[in-house]
Amino acid sequence: MIELKGVTRRFGDAVAVDNINLTIETGEVCVLVGSSGCGKSTTLRMINRLLPRTSGEILVDGEDINNADPEALRLNMGYAIQSTGLFPHWTVARNIGVVPDLLKWPARKRDERVSELLTLLGLDPATDAIKYPHQLSGGQAQRVGVARALAGDPNILLMDEPFGALDAITRENLQQEMLRIQRHLNKTTVFVTHDIDEALKLATRIAVMDQGRIIQHDTPEAILRRPASAFVENLIGKGDRGLKLLGLRTVGDVMARHLLPSQSEPLVEVLKETDSLRVALSIMVWQNSDELPVFSEAGEAVGKVTREQLLQGGA
Amino acid sequence: MPVSTKPPTRVLPALALAAFACVWLLDLGVVQPNRIVSGTGYGLYAATGWFGAVVVSFLLAVVIVLATRLTPKRFGALILLLTTALMAQPLLLEVFALRKLPEDSAYARIGIGAGFWCLAFFLALMLLETLGRYKASRRLQFSVVLLVVVSWWFCASREGLSSLSLIREYANRADQFSQALTTHLSLSLGAVAISAVLAFGLALAMVRRERLRRPLLGLVSFMQTIPSLALFGLLIAPLGALSAAYPFLQTLGIRGIGWAPAMLALIAYSLLPMVRNTYVALMEVPEPVVDAGRGMGMNERQIFFKVKLPLALPVIIEGVRITTIQAIGLTAVAALIGAGGFGTFIFQGLGQAAMDLVLLGALPTVFLALAADAILSALKFQRAPR
Repeated sequence: MIELKGVTRRFGDAVAVDNINLTIETGEVCVLVGSSGCGKSTTLRMINRLLPRTSGEILVDGEDINNADPEALRLNMGYAIQSTGLFPHWTVARNIGVVPDLLKWPARKRDERVSELLTLLGLDPATDAIKYPHQLSGGQAQRVGVARALAGDPNILLMDEPFGALDAITRENLQQEMLRIQRHLNKTTVFVTHDIDEALKLATRIAVMDQGRIIQHDTPEAILRRPASAFVENLIGKGDRGLKLLGLRTVGDVMARHLLPSQSEPLVEVLKETDSLRVALSIMVWQNSDELPVFSEAGEAVGKVTREQLLQGGA
Repeated sequence: MPVSTKPPTRVLPALALAAFACVWLLDLGVVQPNRIVSGTGYGLYAATGWFGAVVVSFLLAVVIVLATRLTPKRFGALILLLTTALMAQPLLLEVFALRKLPEDSAYARIGIGAGFWCLAFFLALMLLETLGRYKASRRLQFSVVLLVVVSWWFCASREGLSSLSLIREYANRADQFSQALTTHLSLSLGAVAISAVLAFGLALAMVRRERLRRPLLGLVSFMQTIPSLALFGLLIAPLGALSAAYPFLQTLGIRGIGWAPAMLALIAYSLLPMVRNTYVALMEVPEPVVDAGRGMGMNERQIFFKVKLPLALPVIIEGVRITTIQAIGLTAVAALIGAGGFGTFIFQGLGQAAMDLVLLGALPTVFLALAADAILSALKFQRAPR
């Protein structure tokens, strides 16, 4: 658990972070969202003491972080940044192994961990491990950046716009990977982004920041349904917030489940139970149907969903 | 796209034509009755007879033909041909000595003519161009250079070239030569080593304290602007006064002239490129990389030795390379204040109007500079992130 109590950070006369209070529960993904210069990155960098705070308290599991040795503190907090910051003179494997090395893990344990993480992030341990960062695409480099952050098996993950520089498709893929990994690992994560859709997708709770203050701290659904101010309302966009709401829930939550899954002929455009209600609605509109069969990841028909169920689930 | 349809190289035929013109128009060698008199020159045909003339002309013609019809295989053939030609070139002088050296005179000697130098120069240029186009590996490049050097060394030590005036000058001064080599190397490399340590410290100080940057860079730049000869001269008086005041300095060999002022001046000159490159290299390590290292939990020591220094090293080595070449050249000038080294031969030769003695000093200096360049470039290449 991370607690920020009355934390303020000034740069000279300018106040970057203004007396914020924020509690991040263990295992939750807290996304700090806001426009550039709102203090979200400053907040993140105070948590691992890359920036000292001007006043206030930051506690990790009840301990003030200023009582800990900064290097020891950071070794237990994975850190991924937008520009990846991969060491250009080291191979991918050595980059990922940097924290295990700093923690003086035995070489075998480190190597096993590196291959495990490469596999987890969809990279090939045989061919990609020996590459140098400049040989990677932007998406691959960012996957390595995330793998490096996870390598020491830290309790906390700090991510500063890790997908901000990627194209839309690669970003979408990596967000899916993040969700999958998070289901596995349940790391307490602080994630900074300026992209509200990314926030809605990844967060268990979102903290909307503006001018160094937290405007609203709540679940994605609550933020969409009850924006605390005109600023938040503007940020989430009035026009399609209904659709965004549909995007928060999966088909599996609202469908009528078959008693037994059955094998069936594959269709061109199938709806999966992990797809969002928003995707389901889109397919319905496109196919002009009131009811769709739902398939599992394995391709079995596991249920069906009606337009009625969709709209009720979203409301 | 096959290599053969790449735009054909015009460089190689042009170089071969230039070599052809030079070797026919200029003197290949000179016969001197003794070491001072300038002697009579002989062109290619006169010097080596029809056989030598045909071999050289035919070789250059083959180069032109090969170069205009390039395929990857022909690059290999061209490298082989040019390397062999360059290796065998001293034989031309041997043939020349055999044919033209008067046997009755003990003082007669042969000198190397402009045509010979031009041929060697153009052959070397063509070889470099071909190696570059062929994208030859470092190992191949190194082997080619080594082969040529060893072959020339071997030819020079043969009886057939003992009448070459350059070799005679060497034979008269074999002891002085090895002493000059030792002095030259220890002066220049010693200066580079000392200034590398100093420069590293200064650059670190500038990285730590921004306000030191302008005065320090200003100082080392200022030292670079003093003409080298003037700096050598300026150091004579204070060092002379020092050693007169403290006699124990004289037992160390520190006097107004000699190695001490030379060393000081060389160090002063070496500082600018080293300080500037080291400082720039350390400052240009990308900020996100350092930030990531710190965020991962590296301490400042680890960030410096594991991240900053390795990333800065290629540029730092580049500074050492520039400095070393510069120091080797400047050491030759330092002979004027009695520091020794190959410059001694150059200035002696100038004084006696014996050009081959000048060459005996100049050629090893050039060779040392080229060797330092090759070694440090290879080192830099090896350290650069791939």
